[in-house]
Parts: sequence; C-alpha cells; structure tokens
Amino acid sequence: MAVGTHGESFMETDPPSSRTARRGGPPPAASGPGLDGLVQVANKIRDAVESVIEGKPAVVRLALTVLLAEGHLLIEDVPGVGKTMLAKALARSVDCSVRRVQFTPDLLPSDITGVSAYNQEMREFEFKPGPVFANIVVGDEINRASPKTQSALLECMEERQVTVDGTTYELEPPFMVISTQNPVEMEGTYPLPEAQRDRFTARISMGYPDPAAEMEMLDTHGQASPLDRLSPVAHASDVRDLIEVVRRQHVSQAVRQYAIDLVGATRGHPELRLGASPRATLHLVRAARAYAALDDRDYVVPDDVQDLAVPVLAHRLLPTAEAQVDRRRPEQVVADLVKRLPVPSPGK
Amino acid sequence: MRFRITVMAGVATLAGSLGLYPLFERSGWFWAGFGAVLAVGGAGLLARRLRLPALVNLLFGLVGLLLYLNLAYAASESWFVLPSPASVRHLVDLGENGWLAANRYAAPVPLLPGIELLVAAGVGLVAVLVDLLAVRLRRAAPAGLPLLAMYSVPAAVREDGVNWLAFGAGAFGFLALLMADAREQVGGWGRMVTSYHRQREVPLAGAAPPAEPAVRPDAAALAATGRRIALGAVAVAVLVPAAVPGLQPRGMLGMGGGAGGGTQTVTTPDPLVSLKRELTRLDDSVVLTYKTDDPDGPDYLRLYALDKFDGDRWTYSPLQSSAKDRLDGRDLPAPPGLSVASVREVTTRVHVRSEVKDMTFLPVPYAPSRVSVKGDWRVHGPSLMLYSLRDSAGGRDYIVRSLRARPTAAQLAAAGTYPAEVVAHYTAVPRNVPPQVRQLAQQITSGSSSALTQAVRLQRWFTQTGGFSYDLKAPAPQRGGDLADFLLHSRRGYCEQFAASMALMARILGIPSRVAMGYTPGSEVRPGEWVVRSRDAHAWPELYFEGSGWVRFEPTPAGAAGQGTAVAPGYSLPAVSAGGGSDGGTAETPDTSSPTDAESPSPSPSARHRNDEGGEEAATGQDGKKGGFTAAPWVAGAVLILLLLAVPMGLRMFTRRRRWAALTSPPKPRPRAPASQAAWDDPAAGAAHAAWREMRADALDHGLEWRASDSPRATARRLGELLELDAAGAQALTRIARAEELARYSLSRPAEPPERLRADVRTVREAFAASVGRRARWRARLLPPSTMTQTGTALRTAGNRALDVTARLNDLPARIRRR
Repeated sequence: MAVGTHGESFMETDPPSSRTARRGGPPPAASGPGLDGLVQVANKIRDAVESVIEGKPAVVRLALTVLLAEGHLLIEDVPGVGKTMLAKALARSVDCSVRRVQFTPDLLPSDITGVSAYNQEMREFEFKPGPVFANIVVGDEINRASPKTQSALLECMEERQVTVDGTTYELEPPFMVISTQNPVEMEGTYPLPEAQRDRFTARISMGYPDPAAEMEMLDTHGQASPLDRLSPVAHASDVRDLIEVVRRQHVSQAVRQYAIDLVGATRGHPELRLGASPRATLHLVRAARAYAALDDRDYVVPDDVQDLAVPVLAHRLLPTAEAQVDRRRPEQVVADLVKRLPVPSPGK
Repeated sequence: MRFRITVMAGVATLAGSLGLYPLFERSGWFWAGFGAVLAVGGAGLLARRLRLPALVNLLFGLVGLLLYLNLAYAASESWFVLPSPASVRHLVDLGENGWLAANRYAAPVPLLPGIELLVAAGVGLVAVLVDLLAVRLRRAAPAGLPLLAMYSVPAAVREDGVNWLAFGAGAFGFLALLMADAREQVGGWGRMVTSYHRQREVPLAGAAPPAEPAVRPDAAALAATGRRIALGAVAVAVLVPAAVPGLQPRGMLGMGGGAGGGTQTVTTPDPLVSLKRELTRLDDSVVLTYKTDDPDGPDYLRLYALDKFDGDRWTYSPLQSSAKDRLDGRDLPAPPGLSVASVREVTTRVHVRSEVKDMTFLPVPYAPSRVSVKGDWRVHGPSLMLYSLRDSAGGRDYIVRSLRARPTAAQLAAAGTYPAEVVAHYTAVPRNVPPQVRQLAQQITSGSSSALTQAVRLQRWFTQTGGFSYDLKAPAPQRGGDLADFLLHSRRGYCEQFAASMALMARILGIPSRVAMGYTPGSEVRPGEWVVRSRDAHAWPELYFEGSGWVRFEPTPAGAAGQGTAVAPGYSLPAVSAGGGSDGGTAETPDTSSPTDAESPSPSPSARHRNDEGGEEAATGQDGKKGGFTAAPWVAGAVLILLLLAVPMGLRMFTRRRRWAALTSPPKPRPRAPASQAAWDDPAAGAAHAAWREMRADALDHGLEWRASDSPRATARRLGELLELDAAGAQALTRIARAEELARYSLSRPAEPPERLRADVRTVREAFAASVGRRARWRARLLPPSTMTQTGTALRTAGNRALDVTARLNDLPARIRRR
C-alpha cells in the first residue's frame, strides 16, 4: 500500500463518535425540520466554517449549498489559500464521518474504494472498506493521482455506491466529496478528465483574503489552529433532514426552462468546444434549490440560477482553441450568457 | 466575365429607362430600349471574355449597339447583319425624322419608328456608359450619372415630373447595381457565405444548435444595415415630396390650376402687354380675314379668357396641357352654363396672315364647338381657349363652328343661381382692392338687385354716365392702384381699363366675371367677309349668367371717340335706353320693386352668392384660397402632426388603463388550468404582472436601462441603487418586485392588493421622473418610448421580411447560374 508523501497519513480516521452513524443508521424522520429549521442549522454550520475561513462568506455559502444539494465540490486554487482548511472545516462542523485522502501519483483505486482481504480465521474474503466509505471525503490534490485512481471515484460520486469484486456496497447519505486541486503546479499532475469534472456539482476558487481578513487570520492562527477549536454543530442526520427539505423546494416551470436555456446556450456557443451536459442542468437546479433554501425561500428565483451558473457550469466547459488564444475563460463565457439570456417572465 | 454585374448594369439601365414613360404615347418604346441594352450587355461580355482594354470595351458596346439598331431598323438594306452604306443612310434618315418629330410634338409623342430609333439609341448609349463604368472600370457609383441623365429627361420636359413608381424602379435598379458591385468586390476575397435573416438568438434558445459552426465574420448585419439605409433613403425620397404640402411648384405660389397626370403648363407672353402693343401699332396691319355666315354680323373673336385677378392685373390660370386636350377634329366641350338661351350655329372661315408671329392662341368666336385646323392645337375645356404648344396661327386657314348664344334680356334677368364652382373661381376679389372701388360699385348699382340690371348699370356708367373718355395714350395699368386711379380720378383709358374695371366691379357685386381678349369683328369688306386689323384688338368683360353662359358686355366707348369697331350687345341695350329716365325696360322690371325683390328673392339667393352684404368676408375667403398662401391646409397639417404626436401618449395611457382595468373587473371563474399555467393566470399574479409591466414601461419611458437578463429582485436592486430612492420609493419598488417574483416563481401568491401595487407603481414612476432630466421627463410624457418599441418591433419585422426577399432576389442570378 502506498504511503502519502506528506508527513501525515494519507488516510485519516475521524473520532469514533461519528462512526456509529456511518453505516446503516436509522433513516431520517419524515417530519424533519422545515425551512426555518434548515436555515437555523445551516446558519450554525456556516458560522462554524466561517470561524475558520475568514472573509469568504460567498465561498462558504457555496460549499454549504453543494452539501445540501447532495453534490460534490471541487476547490481549485493556488496553494495556501485555505482549500483544505475549508474542506476540513466543513467536514468537522458536521458531526459525521470524515475521511481525507491525499492523492499521490502512486495511489491505487483500491486505496480509495477498499479491498477484499482473505480472513484466515473465517476462511473467506472480507471487505475492508476504503476511505470513500464516509459521509464527507476530502480528496486533497486530486489531480496528482493517476487517471486510473481518479476514476475510482466515478462510481461512488454519481451512484453513491462502490463495487469491489462484483459486490456493490451502498454509501450512506449524506455523501460528499470535497476535492482540492492546484491549478498552478502542473508538473506531475493529471488534469481531471471531463467525465470526472462533470461529476462535481461546483467548482469554486477561494481567492486571496482581503487584508483585514488576513490580519485577523494571523491573530487567530497565531495561538492555535482554529480547526482544533471547531466542534460539530450539526449531526449527519440533521444534514439528511436538510437535504430532504431542499428536495421539496419549489422550482417553477419558468425557472426550470431558464436553467435549460442557460445550459443549452453553452452547447452551441461559438467559443466553446464542449458545452454543459444534461447532468449539469440537474446539478444546477439542485444547487439552486439549496441556494434558495439557504436564503430562507421556499421557491427558486432566476437569481439563484444566475449566482450558481459560473461555479456549476464553468468547469464542465471546454473552450475552443480560438477562445484560448483570446484568453477567454469559460467563466467569462458563462457570465456573458447570464447577462444576455432574458429571465423568464410572463407574456413571453 | 462578371456576368452577374453585367446583368445588374443592364437591369439598372432598364429600370432607369422606365422613367421615360411620360414622353411617349404608347409603351412599345421600352422594348426598343430593352433590345439595345441586351445588345450592349452582350458586346460588353464578349469584350471582357477576350480581356480587351477598357477603350475596346467601349467600342464593343458601341458596335453592339450599332449592330442592333441596324438589325432592328434597317435589316432590309443591310448585308446580312452587317450595316451597309444604304442601311446606315436609312438609319440616319430615320433618326432625322425622329428628331424632327420629337421637336414637332409635345410630350407625350407618338411612337414613330424614328422616335423609337432615337429611344433605342439613347438607352443603348446610356447602357454602354453604365456597362463601361460599372462593369469594366468597376466604378458603380459614377455609373449613376448617365442613369441620372436619362432620368432627368422627362423631369426636364414635363413639369410634373415622374411617377413615384418609376422613380422607385430607377432608384432600386441603381441600388441593386451598387449592391452587386459591392458583393463582387467582397467576393474577390473568397467565396461569399450567404445568410438569410437568421435568428441571432439561436444559441440562446438552446433548442437546436446552428447547422454550421458560426465562425464566419458577421457581415450580414452590415449588409442588412446598408440595405436598410438604402431602403430608407428611397422611401424618404418617395414619401417626403408627397407628404409635404409645399414642395410642389403649384399651390405654393398660388397658381392654383387643375392638376392631373401628364400635363404641361402653357406659357405665353402677357396677353395684356401684347394688346397694348397691337393697339398702338402705327401701321394698323391686317391680322386676319374671315368669312362668316352669321346674318346678324359676327361676334367678337376671342383669344384669351383672363379668369384671375391677382390684385394688379388680369391673367389666366396656368393651362395644364395634355395629349387628351388635342382638337383632332372632334367636338369641343359644351360651353359652360349655356342651356336656356337660344343658340345659333355659326361657321367662320378664318385666314390669319402669315406675317402674324407668335400667335399661339386661335382667335375664334365664342363659343367654338368644332375647329378644323392643322397642327397640334388644343383646347382648354373650362374657358374654351384654343392654343398650341409650339405652332403659331400665322398663315393658317381654319374653320370654326361656334355656338353663338342669343339670350334675351328676360332670360338673363331670370337667370338661375350660379354653380358653386363658378362662384368659387370667378368671384374672387383680392383683399387689396380699395374700399372706395367697392363703395363705387355699390353706389353705381344701388337700387338694383338683379345681376343683369347691375351689369347694365355698370356698362351704362362706363359708356355714358360715368364721364369716361377713351384714350389710347393712357398708360397700361400695371398695378391695382392704377385701376383705382382710373375709376376714381382720371377716368381716361382704353379697352383694357374698361374691361378690367367692369369685370372687377361685377365681381365685387358677386357676379362671376372674366376679361376676354381678342379682336372686335373688324370691318366688313364684302358681304360676309371681314377684315380684322391690329387696332381691332380689344378686351371686354364677360359675365356669367346661368342658362346663357358667358355673356359679353361692352363698357368701352365705341365709335370714333372710342374703340372704333366695338359693338354693345343687344341684351345690354334696352336697359341703356331705359336707364335714361324711365324704369320701364324689360331688364329693369324686376328691379322696380326692390322691396319685393328683397322679400321674395329670385330662385335661391343663398346660392346666388350676392356678396353685396358680406362682400368683404366672402372676398376674404376667396382671397385666402386664391392668394396662394392658404392657411387651412397648414392648420390642418399642424393639427394632423399634433394628433400624430399625441398617438404614442394616447397609446401609453390606453395601455396603462387597460392593464389596471383588467384587474379591477372581478376575476372570471376559469377552468382549472395546469399548475404552470395557473401561475400566469392567477388574478393576484395578474396584479403583480400588471404592476411589473407598468413599471417596466415607465422605466423605459424615462430612459432607464431595463435588462432582460435581470430578475425582478435584481432589477429592483439595480434601480434602487441607480436612482438613490428614498425609503418610501425603495419600499414600493421592493414590494412590486417581490410581488412579481412570487407571482412568477413561487407557489404562494403575492399578498399585495392591486390598489397598493398601483399606488406603488405611481410612487416609483414619480421617483423615476424625479431622477431624470427635464427632457427625459417630457419625452416620457409625450413620446413614451415603450409604445414606440412595439411599433418599432412590428416595423422591423416587416422590414426584415422585405430584406429577406431582396437578398433572395440578389442570389437569383447566382443560383440560376449554378444550375
């Protein structure tokens, strides 16, 4: 078994308290919290995460949105802006099982999914679940692993199940993969294949903190890691309830059409070689539901879709060679589309 | 080869030649030009095929034209298709004939072979030039000059110019040539990708990706813009002259006159000036001789009827001449107003001496019914003046059959009411006629109310009681003041003053009148044969009596102390004799009891137009009409413009009212609609939508940006920041946006009552108005752009359709060639 290059183990097991809720936990009560409860819980999680990641409310909100939308998050930014910190803070603020995988070039698929090992006592093969069997999986530097290993995540991310040696193991909700990748250091990396990227609901970049936030960060990080002080503010079952609430969010026909139009517009766009998939539409609407719920609304407005369009769509798009020469990034293309596409209104 | 542009050059030439249509009587001329253009185009193609220099290209065009003309007009004399000396001579002869014919006839000319040859040659020459410039030298724009030259021929010959259709055809032909040229030049850089009007929103609609990757440069928009400009220019050129009241030469200068297609204004030297000149000629030469079968002695020979008094002098309204006015041996129009009085048909054979120059009107006894004369002579229907556009009466013999009305005094006295158009045309008195003259007219005729007695009294006053003396040395009246001086002070003059004054006074009294000019009967040299000399030139007033038509009076003193050969007509004489003392004359019978006359007026006094009382007003009214600068059309135009300007405002108010009215009416119970549909149809949602649309219209009206990609809340946020609204305004804006958002996207319905939303919309509108400048505010009120955009959209759709059609037409040659 390969060992991570970093000092810490590439697998990190969470406190045992969370393990109870890991597999086969009781299903969430049907009478979960309403929208108000959701907002309360969500605010608690947000506050917890923001106590670690300072000055990035939009990023935190997006991360939370993806969590509630049953999606996966790809955080892409230069080193040292707190990608991993965000992932870990989010993971830790929810009292659920969290695994962290440090992707390295020699990481094997079975290192992620788990292996069947022969149990000599029982005289049978026994499945040793990999780190993917957790509620939140933090994949650090995902583009450092070989494509073979990266694609080990394909099945579990989309189908929420793992198949090893012909046996399929269900993953327990909530299940969320938070991956980070570094866009600058390209030496020895394997860019994520399109199929893999398409499975991430959203890609966000942290961006540098503003000077005030950075100053405050110096203060807090001076004494001890704020992550250590972070205690879970919500239970995994709470998150499951929240997801249920989000699923019940109303999306009007007009907004659905708007999402379809927006995604469709990327497909024929002259500056894009590859447009967004129907899965992107699904993710977009799902994320919009969560986004609206976080805004304490029981219906989705086009603004939600507009706000989410760039993080949800941009990483799935491939610009044409001309657009690349013109330094047109897919983010700009999507932003332009959002500006141009009329919002649905009656009488049209 | 440049096949396409050669074709376009030919088409442009032909389209331009359409403008020649008013010059010809029949339409065959077009085919003559068509053949010439074909020949020239073929020759040009050949020259380019052989890659010959431009000069040879020109020669080829000319040779092609010559071959065509030779083939078409002198095929019998030529060697196969080549011109022989005989055929060339034939062509030259034909051309000369055509030239003569073209000079002989006024437009429209008959399509003689010679004229057809000239047309073919002319159009062909233009085609040669256009072909050389546009195709060989690739200068399409200067090719417009020969086209313009061809175009301006009818405009120069015919005053009323060219039909707008013909103009449009020519303009579009030239535009097509320019477009083909531009296309050719772009085409030099590679294959042209033709694109019809494509929905640019295709990528956004998301339904179907475009068939081909949209990588081509977007030249279609540019081309469409060019076409739009061209279309607009032609439309403006066609529409503006039609719409603006003052751009026609007539009307503006108050020349009035009948309009009508294909006419030409006749211009002659001032008849009154020539009258004085003739009267004072020393030699007193013979002007004409004639034979008449009228036993009572012939009537005056009339040249002109001057129907218009412009305040200074009498003139005739410009004659609009067209081919249908030709005499051609047919019967002339019936003399106006002649129905009751007995008529004698008189035949007069006139010979005008060949020494007489520039007599472009025929002297004939009134009222001619049939004239046999050689040359292009025409008749002016209302006045029965006979004139020619280029022929002179000098040296001509002609036979006139005329209807001489012989009204009795009783018939004249019992004349019916005047027709309205006669009143309108022949009783106009300019404002600047001095009041003394008006008073004088009333004074002379005081006590008599019938038109005849008034006329007779006037004539008597001039000839007997007024103390006038005939004096040829008196200066010709130049201005209105001269006439007044003649009437009030000098009382010396010759026929011109007498005739003009009496006609004017008749008009003042409300009797339709005009001044006729021509010759007295002259002197009888042998029985039935008369000689008219230049001293017999004369002017006399004609007054209109319904039933008898135009009736001559003679205010000029006759005899040795006056106009020697003038004769007072019989019907005016009884009154003269009676006017001496007793009132027993037949003419004055109705006049003796003026009270009864006033009480039971003759047939219909209202229509009779007796402007004794309201003379001033009536005259003013007439004045306005004749004076040239008529106020009424301008006022009407201004009102129309104001109305047009008020249309957007009215539309806006109407839309606003309708939107809210739909809400206040109780919602109709409607069948269950599907959930998505219900969201739009709900009454509460309807209120929100109405408020939102209303606010959108207000924002557009005030020139605020409205982004289609903004959701309600984004819009409210942006507007709130932009306008720096106060708390109340911001709240209202937020309420409207929230209601709209709920109505659009939520399951729950907006809670705001329509009245509240309406008040909110008002608040926001006021905020809009307060935030923009005064100009924008007024524009929002008067010309709300929100209503304009609807119209604009409709117009643009229509325009795009039209452009699609033109684009397809443009491609037609290419497509045909590809097959």
